[in-house]
Amino acid sequence: MLKPKPRVAFFEFTDCEGCQLQVANLGEALLELTKLVDIVNFREIMSEDGQEYEVLIVEGSVASKHDEERLKKIAAKAKVIVALGACATIGGVNNLKNLKSLDEQKKAVYGSVDPVPDAIATKPIDEVVKVDYYIHGCPIYGPEFVKVMECILLGKPYHVPNYPVCVECKQNENVCAYDKGLFCLGPITRAGCNSWLPNHGSVCVGCRGLLDNPASDAQKDILEKYGLTVDGILDKFTLYCASSKESAKYGKEFKK
Amino acid sequence: MQYAVIKKSDLSRWFDSMKEKGKIYGPKKKENSFVFRPIKEFEEMSLEYIPTILPPKKYYFPQKEFLFKFKINPFKTGKAIDTFEEFILFGVHTCDIAGIQCMDVVFNEKPVDPNYLNRKEKMTIIGFECMHYCDEYASCTAVGTHVYKGGYDIMLTDMGEEYALHINSEKGENLVAGKKYISEMNADDKSKLKKASDEKLKRFKNEFSAGSEEVDRAFDKGFFSPVWDDVGKRCVGCTNCTAVCPTCYCFDVVDEVSLNLNDGDRYRVWNYCQMDDFAKVATGEDFRPGRNARQRHRYYRKFKYSVMKFNKYFCTGCGRCTRACMAKINLKETVNALLAERRGQ
Repeated sequence: MLKPKPRVAFFEFTDCEGCQLQVANLGEALLELTKLVDIVNFREIMSEDGQEYEVLIVEGSVASKHDEERLKKIAAKAKVIVALGACATIGGVNNLKNLKSLDEQKKAVYGSVDPVPDAIATKPIDEVVKVDYYIHGCPIYGPEFVKVMECILLGKPYHVPNYPVCVECKQNENVCAYDKGLFCLGPITRAGCNSWLPNHGSVCVGCRGLLDNPASDAQKDILEKYGLTVDGILDKFTLYCASSKESAKYGKEFKK
Repeated sequence: MQYAVIKKSDLSRWFDSMKEKGKIYGPKKKENSFVFRPIKEFEEMSLEYIPTILPPKKYYFPQKEFLFKFKINPFKTGKAIDTFEEFILFGVHTCDIAGIQCMDVVFNEKPVDPNYLNRKEKMTIIGFECMHYCDEYASCTAVGTHVYKGGYDIMLTDMGEEYALHINSEKGENLVAGKKYISEMNADDKSKLKKASDEKLKRFKNEFSAGSEEVDRAFDKGFFSPVWDDVGKRCVGCTNCTAVCPTCYCFDVVDEVSLNLNDGDRYRVWNYCQMDDFAKVATGEDFRPGRNARQRHRYYRKFKYSVMKFNKYFCTGCGRCTRACMAKINLKETVNALLAERRGQ
């Protein structure tokens, strides 16, 4: 267990800081949390800039050599490292950069100038430092953040669900997106968000990453049943799950 | 009074008379599906419905059920809840009533489950008999749940202008007592009911290609059948089949600690054998690896193990698992494939 009132610092890399915004928006739970921890660095809610901490919460993925060095440096001071949000846990949308060569992407974005000469292929933070806690999602689901903080404070591991979003979605008794002619990534995406999007009539976009053991063969039956194309389904995956870590979970036959 | 009659136009005032007895839950349309929901006005209900997304199980065995409070330091556990409120389930199909009967058997086994039994005690069930198939996925005739066989307080059967009421308990008796618009069934009504039932039985046919003895033998010999590999290959592991089943009763127990890190609540939550980690133990060993083994287990839990243990199918033929399956795994087809294999077809 950590000392009575551990210091917590938030740092961001390549991201939109939307996950920290979710934390800032926790309201009462955040105030409760400040009774148990000292938040020393969190630029969305405070101007102090503390550099000494026990718990390091990292949002964003690593996208340059500079990022890599900086992450190693700030991680060295921490006793507990938390990956916050899809960019940090699985690379998230930043992985789209890796679909083409760096040169091509730089040209498309910056034209003839090159403001990031040390850019590298995007990676989740656990390819650089050891991560103790994962909080998936784009953005993260507030109640899960609180749950993970409790686990950290109690010195317990947090087990990210290894069952699909369908589990929560069915328990919430939502009408299945597939029955409405929509294509949803719920069956192969890690739960833990209480089926946040389907609860509001949308479909799961896979932001929490794939299950440890998604059924690749069976996907083909689903494609057929709902008249979908392999291209269509791959496009959906690519948004969040294009990292090598995620796509390695898929069977050969699924990849073209 | 064992059989009574109520005019269809009087059903709504009878419904109103029940409101004081407790909260009423009934089937309601939700987009292109149906769900059980609290019902305030009779008109909100859709009595003609295909089985709801979740069975009414959620009211007597909730998805997430609070068990008791605890403190970590000094360690203390609170009293479990033993008082629940009266409630009425209105318009329950015979398949779902069969589901309740299955749960009764399980939770009455020693050690009995007080949470379930105490909730159940507060429940009044008004059944609603299906006169036509809900859709092509049901297999209620094969498992014998297409007709009513107890387990309810009152059963409603459509006879055209009126509903027949079969009153099956004291609770049911109390709901009709003193209502001038509910009259005891006379000989005329009885023949009307018989006619309606006879016509219904003509429409309902065994959905399996053989009777229960053959089904039993097929499961007896079918453990290593290629049918399970086929089903396993198609299964995407979404767990929907177990999530919507009226007889699945597996649960996990979870503790949720509040932000003072000392007070907590203990819950039980639904848990499914179709989850990847369901049969994994601490060393990482998995006693049921593979979706083929997990799907087979599900079928054996419905058609074999429960027969061996309770002499009862734990499939109510409601068809929910087939409707909810993304990969078109169809219960009727699976059982029939097993039967065909047994016959050497």
